[in-house]
Amino acid sequence: MKTIKSFLWLLFFLLPIVASAQELAPVVQNVNNAKDVPGLMQVRSQLERFMVAQPEQWLAGYYLAYVDVQLSFRVPSSDEKLQYLSEAETYLNKLSGFKEVDKSELYTLKGFRLYALIASNPQANGPKYSGEIVGAYETALGINPNNPRALILSALFKNDLAKFMHQPYVNFQKDVEKAASLFTVQNTNLLTPTWGKYWVDFAITKK
Amino acid sequence: MKRICILILLSFAGELNGFAQLHTVEGKVLNEKSNPMAHANVFIKGTIDGATSDSLGHFSFETGQKGVITLCVRMLGYAEFLMPVSEKKSTALVLKMRPDNITLDNVVVTAGNFRLKGNSQFGKMSAVDIVTTAGSTGDLYHSLRTLPGAQMVGESGKLFIRGGDSNESQTYIDEMHVLSPYTTTGDNVPVRGRYSPFMFEGINFSTGASSSEYAQGLSGILALNTKDASPVTKIGVNVSSVGMSGGGTQAFEKGSVSVNLDYQNMKPYYALFPGRLNWINPYQLFSGSSQIRFNPNQSTVFKTFIGYDRTTFIQQLTSLDNQTTRDFGMKDDNFYLNSTFQKTTESGYKVFAGAAFSYKNEQIDNAVLSADSYRDKEWEVHLKTKLTKRYTDFLRLNVGLEDFIRHDETTYAYSSTVHSDSINHSIGAVFATAVLNISSNLYAELSERMEYTSINNLWNSNPRLALSYNLKGVHFSGIIGKYTQLPENKYLMLNKYLLTGQCMQYVGGMYYEKRDKIYRIETYYKTYKDLALQESTVLTSDGYGHSKGVDVFFNERALFKNFEYMLAYSYSLSKRKYQDYTELSTPQYATTHNATVSIKYNIQALKSILGVTNRFASGRPYHDPTKEGIMNSTAGFYNSVDMSLTYLASKKVILYASATNLLGRQNVYNYNYSVDVNSPGGYRKTPVIDSSTHFFYIGIFITLSGKTAYDVSNF
Repeated sequence: MKTIKSFLWLLFFLLPIVASAQELAPVVQNVNNAKDVPGLMQVRSQLERFMVAQPEQWLAGYYLAYVDVQLSFRVPSSDEKLQYLSEAETYLNKLSGFKEVDKSELYTLKGFRLYALIASNPQANGPKYSGEIVGAYETALGINPNNPRALILSALFKNDLAKFMHQPYVNFQKDVEKAASLFTVQNTNLLTPTWGKYWVDFAITKK
Repeated sequence: MKRICILILLSFAGELNGFAQLHTVEGKVLNEKSNPMAHANVFIKGTIDGATSDSLGHFSFETGQKGVITLCVRMLGYAEFLMPVSEKKSTALVLKMRPDNITLDNVVVTAGNFRLKGNSQFGKMSAVDIVTTAGSTGDLYHSLRTLPGAQMVGESGKLFIRGGDSNESQTYIDEMHVLSPYTTTGDNVPVRGRYSPFMFEGINFSTGASSSEYAQGLSGILALNTKDASPVTKIGVNVSSVGMSGGGTQAFEKGSVSVNLDYQNMKPYYALFPGRLNWINPYQLFSGSSQIRFNPNQSTVFKTFIGYDRTTFIQQLTSLDNQTTRDFGMKDDNFYLNSTFQKTTESGYKVFAGAAFSYKNEQIDNAVLSADSYRDKEWEVHLKTKLTKRYTDFLRLNVGLEDFIRHDETTYAYSSTVHSDSINHSIGAVFATAVLNISSNLYAELSERMEYTSINNLWNSNPRLALSYNLKGVHFSGIIGKYTQLPENKYLMLNKYLLTGQCMQYVGGMYYEKRDKIYRIETYYKTYKDLALQESTVLTSDGYGHSKGVDVFFNERALFKNFEYMLAYSYSLSKRKYQDYTELSTPQYATTHNATVSIKYNIQALKSILGVTNRFASGRPYHDPTKEGIMNSTAGFYNSVDMSLTYLASKKVILYASATNLLGRQNVYNYNYSVDVNSPGGYRKTPVIDSSTHFFYIGIFITLSGKTAYDVSNF
């Protein structure tokens, strides 16, 4: 009887959390499916609403930063690109203060934002941020060597750097294969970051 | 048990009840010009009920929220819009957005440069920009001389801005004053900055009408900001044609500690490339610096920087009058400590507090005559605190207090005669700035600085008004401001009642920046009064003068692929009656025309960045004692073609090489004359020229740690 009582109390308190997590799950799915600016704006609004309503949830802010980075690749104006990347930086900085945040994922996204900054103006930002990107991915992989996003983005960036230096990046193939296998086993039903498989496909076509 | 079940069932029922009685929230989102806004996020605050506006600004969604709800609209670049809406009046809503007040946080209204943080490139340089500019020889101040407004005074190396003297430009690190930002050098050897450009995240160069927050700079301000956080642990070393350095950063979860040691010795360089100067002991510099950063949370930053350096050299100098030689021996110790605290509170206040201590001890043997000695011991304490708060969407206020406590003592000894002098004084100030967002494209900055100088017991008011108007991406701006500065210590020691020098500045400009292009034109007019004037043996504050001119700047980062160019031109007319210029005349350091053409080409096939800079300046005036009047002659023009090459040997190794004055032109800056007209042949005339025709620098930068690449900064 006592066990049932405890279970019911637990259910009572966990109900809103479980419910909100369930509401966030389809939004996260939408992030992975959004391909154009209107789609990303739609999902951005949903995430923003989650973030305002449940500020203690790190994943909404994390994905909001990710969507901002994605938008920076797609909007044509350089001012808008910088606005989105600046907004993403604000969210990422806030996330650093969350105890439960997945730090490996956080550093990966930080690196990815810097990559977007380089893409917005390669000539000016390339020399400025290359070192920092490598550092961010290395830190992410130091925390979790099986983070597929950090692995594939790091491999792609190092490969590009190596090409620039007219040198081969010998681990490229191995890293891509490892990332691909990690993506296939990642649990997309859990409320954790799941983006990035596109980059494995991109790396395979690039070979 | 029953009661618990009922409670839980009720909570479910509540949820279901909410879904059962939905009502519609519907309307339109418009911008400040009443045009529809697409992609605005409209939602009920505290819930996830909401929608995104379509291309016509329409939105519509259903909610189960009862009573009066708070509708929230968010859109990047616009201020958050909040409106209470009752259940009965939740349709046909018209929501009007205004441009983002966050922008107001980042507005800096400067002449010709309406700069939003992070968006502008002009005046906000990176260390990479600096070292890859040919002619900079990796030095901050040398690089700044390629920008418009800065004048070419090759034998000095210091910053001379828009007809102003070098001591009228001040350097600040993290908003705290640096008493002695330049290294100590020998006769006609240009100084360098004491601090590596790689230490700084932001390098903001203001050539005039600078913020009232900065004190004692009649001409310009160089505001340097160190990194708030250095999250990557790294180690690096470098060896160059002038010395070696090494250091690194240890990053922690909530902060970092960086250390750098530097040793320079010009002996091997002079053995390879002897110059025109005679060295008994060539220039040597040892310096060490450290920075501790602590970020207990996202909104708080503590930073402490400590730097010490010691310079020694002995240079043989020859007297123009009697051709005797003396060994000019220099020992200079310099210490700088800077500690700052910044916090943004939850209520939006930005709090800043800082303290800085600068100490300089200079000892010169055989300074003016053989067997004399000169000592100068100077220190300054700078304390500052300020509070910034955005009160409304249209008003940001910044108020602060600061105090400079200064001490300077000099001793000159020759034979049995010893002459000592010293001064102790302070400068206290209170400043306030209001930034007003008058409309979406018109900003105004109104500020006042009240300053009290204890040495002459005077209060000075420095009001300033700046306006900036944005017309389709072209920024027009105008500033009127008053600036004050105490005379140099050498004059204050002679007369403690000298007035504080004053300068009125009128600046107007136009500025356009688009992705890879920056165009800027700016004109200025400055009047000076109450400057120190030495006439015969009388020292007064009767000096005055003016300076006027135009600065032009073009920079295109992608004219062709991998190619960048910069054009800077300054026209300046400056006249002063001050110091020992007893007639209104153009000071010796002032040049009418200054031009720089600088290109950078990224040669990807060679993994290299090539930089070429051509600098030109019209001839400088000088005083020929054999002619009537003062400043009665003009030296030849200045020209130097400089080149630099940055080679990325690997992601851990970078090679940097630079050479100045490739054409080998002998630039004459001035002429020195013997004092005694009766010396053989009358006045003996010697040109003031560079200590060597060329300067070559080659350095290798090696990153030793695993997590960094292409990073030559140990900080």
